[in-house]
Amino acid sequence: MVTNDDISDFIQKIPPTSKILKETIHLLNIGDLTKAAKIAQEDLALKSYLKNIVNKPIYGFKNEVNDVSQIFGILGISQSQQTVYNYMINLLNPSKWLLFKLNENSFHELQAQLSAKWSIILQHLKIGNKDIHSSIALLPASIIVTEALFCKYIDDVNLLRNTKALDYNTILKRLCKLSLFDICEKISIEWEMDKIIPTILQSSSGLIISDDEKINTLGKWMHLLLFYELSQTTFVEANLNDFIDFQIDYVEDIYEDFTNIMQMDK
Amino acid sequence: MKPSVKNGVALFSPQGFLDSNNNSAFLSIDDIDATLKLKVDMVLVSMKKVIFFNRNGLDIFIKLFIRLRKHTQTIVGFCDYNHKKYESIKKFYKDDINFSLFRTVEIAHLFSSNFKEENKSILLYSSDKHQRSAMAIELHNNGHNPIIMQTSNEFESKKQDSDKYDYIIYDTYIGEMGNKIISRVRGNAIIYTVLSYLDTNISDNFNLAYHQNSLNVGFRLFIFDAYKVTSMNIHALNFFAKLASSGAEYNATICFAGLTFDKTPKIFKENLEDSGILFYEQMDDILENKKLLKELGGSSSANIKTIRSINKKSVVELPRFINATVATIEMMTNSKAIKEAAEVHKIEVENKENKIASSIGYYGDIDGMVILVFPIDIAKKACELLIGESTDDMELILDTLAELVNIVGGKIKTLLSNDDVKVDITLPRTYQNIDSLLEVVEDKKGVQVDLSFNDNKFLFFLTR
Repeated sequence: MVTNDDISDFIQKIPPTSKILKETIHLLNIGDLTKAAKIAQEDLALKSYLKNIVNKPIYGFKNEVNDVSQIFGILGISQSQQTVYNYMINLLNPSKWLLFKLNENSFHELQAQLSAKWSIILQHLKIGNKDIHSSIALLPASIIVTEALFCKYIDDVNLLRNTKALDYNTILKRLCKLSLFDICEKISIEWEMDKIIPTILQSSSGLIISDDEKINTLGKWMHLLLFYELSQTTFVEANLNDFIDFQIDYVEDIYEDFTNIMQMDK
Repeated sequence: MKPSVKNGVALFSPQGFLDSNNNSAFLSIDDIDATLKLKVDMVLVSMKKVIFFNRNGLDIFIKLFIRLRKHTQTIVGFCDYNHKKYESIKKFYKDDINFSLFRTVEIAHLFSSNFKEENKSILLYSSDKHQRSAMAIELHNNGHNPIIMQTSNEFESKKQDSDKYDYIIYDTYIGEMGNKIISRVRGNAIIYTVLSYLDTNISDNFNLAYHQNSLNVGFRLFIFDAYKVTSMNIHALNFFAKLASSGAEYNATICFAGLTFDKTPKIFKENLEDSGILFYEQMDDILENKKLLKELGGSSSANIKTIRSINKKSVVELPRFINATVATIEMMTNSKAIKEAAEVHKIEVENKENKIASSIGYYGDIDGMVILVFPIDIAKKACELLIGESTDDMELILDTLAELVNIVGGKIKTLLSNDDVKVDITLPRTYQNIDSLLEVVEDKKGVQVDLSFNDNKFLFFLTR
């Protein structure tokens, strides 16, 4: 089963951020969208990803958007940074999904849905901080980490889960004393993401209650948003519904607000 | 989605939102077919982690329940909900509730024929008097002591002293129950509870596979708790006579406790006695008489007349058995195993102190039994993944060890099926000390493989 060596291997294989990505993020950080777009379009894979994501129906653009400066202009600083982070997480994507029935498209769809709905939530909470906007990008990394660590042990995991309904995070924590979210935190450190991003992510596990009430509230919204998305047909069929434990009590006080916002969104 | 299976209960655990958009995604055709093939007493859906649901969302599970009831006697329903969810489910299906609702999965276990414990003190309330009675009867038949509250006020007042009761049942509804004959284990004896008039249906309601498995794993005394039997016909008589003769190979004893012959022909008793079946007026006449219990095979399981030894078929598959065991223990302990020796002889356990054991049988294209002997420390370590923490609670360790051996059995089954060798596995059995294990297997020859995990000795024994 998964060992600490498997985790170390995974962490070592996290690709370093390229010069272009670093520069793009730096320019987005200082609010220079024009220069950021100019730099970003030099990375053809990033350019293609941005086009792919922004033209998904969830963004609601009538005409196809092709130009990076146009994309950044439409998204604004916060969402542009969030989308570039989404791209970085996407670099960790496996060439073939084995544990979960996902593919590049369905994973992009999950990223897009989470990002768009997170923006709606932050609008409702009247939060404009761009790093908080970007924090949602790290959440799907937990799925990639699970796939990477457990894909070699599918039969063992199935046998274990046939006997006891253990989620992947619990299995990992009991075996290696590290959670999926701890590993995601390591990714964020490796990629020099703002510190608030892994802090919100840890809180969104529903297992670590932050002393900072603001972080705690954001964690609750992110936790509920994740399970809202993981209850969609595509992701239930991908076996993602129970990949981590849903902490129903943790989100109880925001549930009414959440459903109102999501219904308004429909 | 696949259910987890424990103690004869298959449990689905969906999370999040259950509505018409996603309901079919939770159960594919393969999931439904696999569930229909499960040999379980109950199939339940846990609502613990469902934050929103509507009738459309539950309908896919209701369809599964209907198919299960059509094919089997499985008890079906929902569990792990709060009062609000309970009321919602009852409202959705008010005219058509054929399934059961158990407030917690632990309460559901009390109604399962595979529940291992008995004599639990249970405070019980339902506003529906028919439900109150039905639940009380089921609980009583399963060997528990239900204390029934007639009014809500009375219940609320008693509920304050929750420490006095092992379980408190409310917000629970029993729909169509199974007709399976309830079995429970008392020491080395298995007790089956039979009720009312016994006729040809007994062969459908008696779990013959479970009985056979119990024989395979070393049980020798089977007692039919027949206090509530009014009478029986010739079909039931034939059934018991056949059961007695098939058990003779294992030197098993079958007894009836509490059976009266007021309405049953006396000749039936003579016929059954000719088949080797014994009759006692009271259950305690057997269970409280240690000398008699020993004679009947209920205190040990050693007196087997037909000793079956390991055969070539099993030896050919031996590497698979060892691989399955080693892989599972390695998986659970995250440590590497070293094979030290493999020999054919009777089981030899050095230093019996601080060791526990577990066994699981398999039957089908080949048959036999795998026995694992663990130093307690390794057993604890291996169980930590399932329990989540280190524990010294021996009951919990043995219970978890049974789950672990079940995983080993599952792995053996998978590895053999890859080679088109089809087997089923029995329920696992655990032994708190090596002496109780030796009572079952000390005369049997088999393959003993000594393994070492982090310098701790671990023993694998394959026999028939």
